[in-house]
Amino acid sequence: MEAIDIALGLFDLLLVFLLLWLAWLVMSSEDLFKAIVLFVAFGLLMALVWVRLEAPDIALAEAAIGAGLTGALLMAALDRLNAVKPMPAAAVVTSAKREQPSLPSKVLPLVALVLIVLGLGYALLSLPDVADGLVPNVKEQMAQSGVKNPVTAVLLNFRGYDTLLEMVVLLLALLSVWSLGGVRKLSPRNTNPVLASLCRVLVPVLILVSCYLLWVGADAPGGAFQAGSVLGAAGVLLLLSGWHVEQKILLWPLRFILVLGSGVFIIIAAVLFFTQGGLLTYPVAQAGWLILLLESAATLSIGATLAALFFGGIPKSRVDQ
Amino acid sequence: MQLLYITLALFLLVNLAAGMWRVLRGPGVADRMLAAQLFGTTAVAILLLLAEAAGSNALRDAALVFALLAAVTAVAFVKRAWSMQEERDVD
Repeated sequence: MEAIDIALGLFDLLLVFLLLWLAWLVMSSEDLFKAIVLFVAFGLLMALVWVRLEAPDIALAEAAIGAGLTGALLMAALDRLNAVKPMPAAAVVTSAKREQPSLPSKVLPLVALVLIVLGLGYALLSLPDVADGLVPNVKEQMAQSGVKNPVTAVLLNFRGYDTLLEMVVLLLALLSVWSLGGVRKLSPRNTNPVLASLCRVLVPVLILVSCYLLWVGADAPGGAFQAGSVLGAAGVLLLLSGWHVEQKILLWPLRFILVLGSGVFIIIAAVLFFTQGGLLTYPVAQAGWLILLLESAATLSIGATLAALFFGGIPKSRVDQ
Repeated sequence: MQLLYITLALFLLVNLAAGMWRVLRGPGVADRMLAAQLFGTTAVAILLLLAEAAGSNALRDAALVFALLAAVTAVAFVKRAWSMQEERDVD
């Protein structure tokens, strides 16, 4: 038994050391591409940290978003940055170095950092050594939640309005990207046979895994956000392979799917408000399928939103230009 | 048996730390990207070992998601960053 503890202790120590080292490297890297690769590695280790903290739900979300989609999104952003500013990275760095920052701009961030560290330290030290938190409350109410996974019960039932607001946040994020302007062209049609056959195998598997994660969320770690990001990854892969989307689908059908998650949430919340007397207070008998309905709509919206974010701008029809 | 799983996971994590050298040294973008892909594969293996040690199915799901999405990152790299960075390296 002792040998296991030593091995686990060494594993945790190495993990923490690597994580802090990577965090520093990401922040200090002058080469943006290197920073992206390091950030993807950071996401991988972060997922392992969540596993060690016995939070498999967050590990799954981190695996889907942190290590998977973020890398693709950041690389698309870097690509567009290079298109806007075709200056070599080295020249940008040296010109930035020449400008000496003024004293307040050096001191103010330091003061802010010290205050944050002090605040966080105080919050950490003032925590009780052992606390049950809300675990007993959640356990007590689980029978009424309609699902068997406590995380899903909290996210979609006990604090359903949090998830509702998160759906709106995602929509706002996409709207702010769209407000920056349109995308000139869709990626050119793919002529690479390797990529084409990869898509034929991988996209159906991604969609299947997405459905699985959505379904399993009722009993085990999984749910709309994980399922949605896997679905979004399928969309990203299709966009990268030059998937041709009909212009008329890009207009209203796409927008309908984008607002579906928030829309269904708000409609159900309003109906329940008038029939049950509270926002998102599901009747116990119907809670299970209402949660599944909400999560299905949310999965579609999250997937479409992430793929649209990767696209990087409002898809413009050729007529508009 | 649990000890074996944990020791192997520790060994893989040491491997991952060694792979950091390639990410930092480069010299090309492809070297860095391939090191990151190797990290992904290593993380899948570590997750599977931890899943066996803890008897947790959720960790197998996480490993599955990692394995699937690593391919998407690789394709994004080849399609979007590769051509751009190649030009820059030649300059």
